[in-house]
Amino acid sequence: MGNPSSSTKWSVVVLAALALAVPIIAQEGHPLKGSWIGVWESNTVHGNDVLMVLTWDGKNVTGMINPGTDNIKVDKASLDPAGWKVHIEADAKDKQGKALRYVIDGALQQLEMPNRAIVGTWQSPSGRGKFEVRRQ
Amino acid sequence: MNRNLYIRCGLGLALSLLGTLAWAQRPLSGKFDLGKKLELSGIVTKVDWRNPQVHVFLNVKSAAGTLNWAVELDSASMLELDGWSEESLRPGEAITVKGSAARDGSRQVWGEDVRYAANGTLVFPPKSKALRKPLVPRPTPRWPDGHPALGALPGTADGYWTEPSKTALVEDGVDVKMSEYGLLANIEDAAKVAPMQPWALGVYRNRQARQLRDDPLFVNCKPPGGPRQYQSPLGFQLIEDRAHQRVFVLLGGGNHNYRIIYLDGRKQQGLVGGDDDNPLYYGRSSGRWEGDTLIVDVVGFNEDFWFTQGGLPHTDLLHLRERFTRTDLDTLRYEVQVEDPGAYTRNWSASWILKWNGGASLPTHFCQNNRQ
Repeated sequence: MGNPSSSTKWSVVVLAALALAVPIIAQEGHPLKGSWIGVWESNTVHGNDVLMVLTWDGKNVTGMINPGTDNIKVDKASLDPAGWKVHIEADAKDKQGKALRYVIDGALQQLEMPNRAIVGTWQSPSGRGKFEVRRQ
Repeated sequence: MNRNLYIRCGLGLALSLLGTLAWAQRPLSGKFDLGKKLELSGIVTKVDWRNPQVHVFLNVKSAAGTLNWAVELDSASMLELDGWSEESLRPGEAITVKGSAARDGSRQVWGEDVRYAANGTLVFPPKSKALRKPLVPRPTPRWPDGHPALGALPGTADGYWTEPSKTALVEDGVDVKMSEYGLLANIEDAAKVAPMQPWALGVYRNRQARQLRDDPLFVNCKPPGGPRQYQSPLGFQLIEDRAHQRVFVLLGGGNHNYRIIYLDGRKQQGLVGGDDDNPLYYGRSSGRWEGDTLIVDVVGFNEDFWFTQGGLPHTDLLHLRERFTRTDLDTLRYEVQVEDPGAYTRNWSASWILKWNGGASLPTHFCQNNRQ
């Protein structure tokens, strides 16, 4: 086999960068606060990849899904410490401009880690699938 | 290099970096089972004198042959404070060790009682050298204008504040048992410690259940911001720069960090175009005198650290109101009101006493100092 492909090299660089970055971006406040990157699988409307930015004002979790591109405002978001269940609702529009409401249900995993994850499902009138994002 | 090998190298690099970080200094109870005691006798093979933990290695004879054990002790800074030195134990000396076994079953023990085997003389922990208060309180030293001096007056012996009467933050009036690191004896007491919001209580319980092993102070050498800076056994100094209306807080622990309390009425914000939007580990402090008490208002904290031993959570909405009162030469009363609507359901307060260690220099502790 010849030289590694550029995607392989890129994977190695990303892995190393993640390992270095973990302690730098530690966040010990509200567990949902931060930037989350991952996938909502089989999403034919907004693509497989998802970026979510959440914040906490002391009473509510607010945020945006895919800021800068789709700008899907988070309408409702909650965190239940019993089981660390996460519930998110957000209103978007499909490619034809028709209203589309996303409902995401999942659970926080590895709460103590800066790069903790939300793993669960997403659903909307356009479909459903696995949802998994990791805090950056 | 083939593709798989390339990926394996990348994964290896990533995992080794993570591993190195995870195995940096950690709270005692996270690594050792305090309920599982061990007793060893052996010959010292090496003394690794460095922060964050000193290790003494010794060969112990057993049925399985001679095995090398690691005895973990406090930091070099703390041991030096107690009169130890790198020369206190030498390779070849016979010692006995009583302590707590490592949770992972490895040949490591937290040394609670280390003695010379020959004569039974205790070498660790050393005799308690708690500061003694004079029988008659000595008056609070004052500046010519009558303000109490928070540190040593010019021309007098240096000193620093140490021996906090509480080493973990708990709301005043609450009585719960916890270790010096803030680990609760009974995790069901968690909700009593402070009026936490449900998420904060959940996070606090999780940190407690994990024996505080994720404490960023120990894992990543993050600074002890907030009230935690006044609960370190390594103490702190308050240096009054009266000409510039500011007080420096110099820390014995926390990587020898310092913080500035401004008394000139400036706004609690950073430099425009500089660090104005950058929250800090020690926040931004503005102080003023009210009688004999220095009142300090602190905002602008980041969320990258634990502001207490024991892991009470906070958010960037944290607002502290601190009060420093030197009630006599040897006593400093510290009071803090915690306001954090992001993590707590109401404001709450805590207070403790610190002692003046006169004639002594502030210890110099760097978390990851390899003494090289």
